[in-house]
Amino acid sequence: MSASGRIIAEFRRAPRPIRLLGASGQLGYGIPATSFRAGIERGPDLIGCDMGSIDIGPTYLGKGEMATSPEATRRDLRRVLIAARGLDVPLVIGTAGSAGAGPHLDATLVVLRDIARADGLRFRMAVMRADIPRPALLEAVRSGMVESFDGMPALTEEEVVEAAHIVGQMGMGPFRKAIEADVDVIVAGRACDTAIFASLPVVLGFPTGLAMHAAKIIECGSLCCVPGGRDPILAELDQDGFVLESMNPERRATPASVAAHSLYEQSDPFTVNEPDGTLDLTHARYEVVDDRRARVSGATWRDTLHPTIKLEGARKIGERAVLLCGSADPRFIDQCKVLLPKVADLVQSLVCEEQPVDYTLRFRVYGIDGVRMVVPENEPPPGEVFIMGECIAPTRERASEVVRTCKQFLLHFGYPGRLSTAGNIAFPFTPPEVSLGPAYRFNVYHLLHVDNTDALFPVEVESV
Amino acid sequence: MKLSDLAQVIRSKNAGPRRLTLDIMFGSDADYQRVVQSPALGADAIGRLYHVPANRVTIIAYPAGRAIKIVMAREVMAGDPGDRDVYGAQQHAPLLGIEI
Repeated sequence: MSASGRIIAEFRRAPRPIRLLGASGQLGYGIPATSFRAGIERGPDLIGCDMGSIDIGPTYLGKGEMATSPEATRRDLRRVLIAARGLDVPLVIGTAGSAGAGPHLDATLVVLRDIARADGLRFRMAVMRADIPRPALLEAVRSGMVESFDGMPALTEEEVVEAAHIVGQMGMGPFRKAIEADVDVIVAGRACDTAIFASLPVVLGFPTGLAMHAAKIIECGSLCCVPGGRDPILAELDQDGFVLESMNPERRATPASVAAHSLYEQSDPFTVNEPDGTLDLTHARYEVVDDRRARVSGATWRDTLHPTIKLEGARKIGERAVLLCGSADPRFIDQCKVLLPKVADLVQSLVCEEQPVDYTLRFRVYGIDGVRMVVPENEPPPGEVFIMGECIAPTRERASEVVRTCKQFLLHFGYPGRLSTAGNIAFPFTPPEVSLGPAYRFNVYHLLHVDNTDALFPVEVESV
Repeated sequence: MKLSDLAQVIRSKNAGPRRLTLDIMFGSDADYQRVVQSPALGADAIGRLYHVPANRVTIIAYPAGRAIKIVMAREVMAGDPGDRDVYGAQQHAPLLGIEI
């Protein structure tokens, strides 16, 4: 019998509280060895890791590449896989490979199979793909089953066709199926981070609201503690609540710190919408257990009659190249918001002599408005600025041509009152132009109405 | 007194790629109460500060976390051309100097 089957049988025979170990909020950036070992010594019934999110931007999803380095990803996967097999408990991985599309999932599976071979491990693995089939999605667009939210324009058939990858965030359904299929390892493409941890306790009959609330907190590791951090965290869940404890003794889960975590990256601290329902935290209670542990109860769950899947897609918009430079000239800095558009016009007149304007060129002036979306009036000018010119063009060569031309004419651009006639800008190194490869934008961020959320995400089981 | 002198945490982050959320957290109930009742943290004042219409700013009081949450639409979707802050983690600065 495999790990999930063993756990189900064990809990059926003798019900008890369940221990869930949140090993990493973002697998591939290193799992602290000491606190992970402490977590394993507590004998968790499940080890879960989230591997990604939409926060990292559209390019990873579009390109099909991981955000984490292959070496660190492999090291982290090996650490959790060996520990889970040693304890014979399920290892659950969500949003494989940073963005959870086919290439991300496949790359993760390659590493897992490779580790199994190198370390002589054998296990049953459930794999759930999150890619949404295009013909079905086109049909859904045509029949009005795709809804916009957060002010996103309506999804068109063209955007569906042009997206490099489109994934849906799967909820608990596919995870529950995988758990019931008697497996040791579960690897999902794009998935709700809650499903990673909540699905096993829900299969075992724990209240969904409590399981979801615990999952929502531990998917971020010890971030809910003071001081917050990425160490593994343990949740011990019973029928009435759960106790949180960081596996790093320096991190304390206090009622205030855990309650405050409900704010993190959420637009509403009281409700969390999931594909199959809503988690309601209005009556959540946070209590002291001891100096390092908090007990949480009171969360409730409402199933929805109208399930929706959140879709994410990214479309290529061109090739990106940047110019990196700075200035310490007070007169140039004072006028740069006027001068930079003039340089852009000059560049356009040169690179578009025989070609249409087929690119965009933008400047961010760090020290003035490189970071802030709103800049207060009458700020004193900075002593120096960093300037990033960014071009997005149809080809790598074209983007490079634009930023290289820009570099030369920004360096030598004349303006009234100029003293520094040998050059307006400093380069930290040369070449100061960098080709960054393809650029993407999110072109799909919509809700897909479905009758059955599970049908989109079939569960495949393989023996490794 | 400035908000940055009263609060324990003042932070910003995306809540999905199209919304920005700002959290202000306090170390004591007294500090939280003092700020949560202040018009300086109303939708009008925050909208002016961020150049967003007040009706597109949501302010949520969260006593369990001694916190105030502000939610608004991002002008540029995360990662779109022209974005300055893909994670939205550095848009809190306008809040620091609010006089309470």
